[in-house]
Amino acid sequence: MPPKAAPPRRKGPAFNPPRPVKPPTSTTAPAAGRASNAAASRPAPAPAPAKPSAARSSFQPTTTIISSDDEQEDEFDDLPSDIDALMEDAIDDKPRPQRAAALVTATPPIPPPLLVRLLHHNFEDENTQIQKGAMKLFESYMTIFVREAIARAKDEREKTGRDVGGAASRFLQVEDLEKLAPELLLDF
Amino acid sequence: MSSTDESTEDRLKSALWYTIGHFVDTSSTTESFNATPQFIGALTELVYTHIQNSARDLELFSKHAGRKVVTADDVMLLTRRNEALEGILKAELDRMRAEEGRGEEGPKKRGRPAAAAGAKGKGKGKK
Repeated sequence: MPPKAAPPRRKGPAFNPPRPVKPPTSTTAPAAGRASNAAASRPAPAPAPAKPSAARSSFQPTTTIISSDDEQEDEFDDLPSDIDALMEDAIDDKPRPQRAAALVTATPPIPPPLLVRLLHHNFEDENTQIQKGAMKLFESYMTIFVREAIARAKDEREKTGRDVGGAASRFLQVEDLEKLAPELLLDF
Repeated sequence: MSSTDESTEDRLKSALWYTIGHFVDTSSTTESFNATPQFIGALTELVYTHIQNSARDLELFSKHAGRKVVTADDVMLLTRRNEALEGILKAELDRMRAEEGRGEEGPKKRGRPAAAAGAKGKGKGKK
């Protein structure tokens, strides 16, 4: 998952944005109830970050994607209870920006010029040409393919790690790829 | 001829290997995982093969439509088996067209039953 990345940034951006978004609803709720709620549920958000995001489409994707689980949880601990409601929002919002930003911001795994070469090399008819727009689209297609392969391999690794007893290494193995390859190819 | 062909292919593969390895390394620093070199090699092979298949598909799609030029329509056909993927690429395509500020070729992707039928037997072409 995304956790490790950016401790230095913590206090600032990750924490402030939710304030303008949600204040009305959160302040009306009894602070005490919220607080205990939040404390109780704190362990949950980390393992399953993807779920809650559906509800909050209103939060715009920001650049502070890397705000990690660690960070969120830490802040949780430090905060006075009346702010906990805000932090709940922050946790909910986090996964969505990350998803949305992924495709657009990341550098492509395969540089466009190389992809063009590869493509043309594999055309049977040398006269076949490809439109620029089509090429761009194909780039996104391959980007998705590569990312999907890696994401599924990670998933596979985590799964096998759990079965074995959790101590498995974090290194993606060829076996992971072998297991996911058939389904991946069916999907693409 | 075939020997130079092979060496080109090898060099393209090495380039792909390098670039995939680089990509995996970069993403592994931001997300907590790591990959064995073997994994990268295997992934390279997978990606290369997939590009190979896609290239033949695209070529055949465009031929089937009576063109010599691969268009975005043909690329969209690659996604015909995966609706979610089609949705993503479609959004991407719309975004690109909006950026260019012109409709390039009027009609939307999708439709095209004729080309889809022609696509049929391809999936496994080569390996």
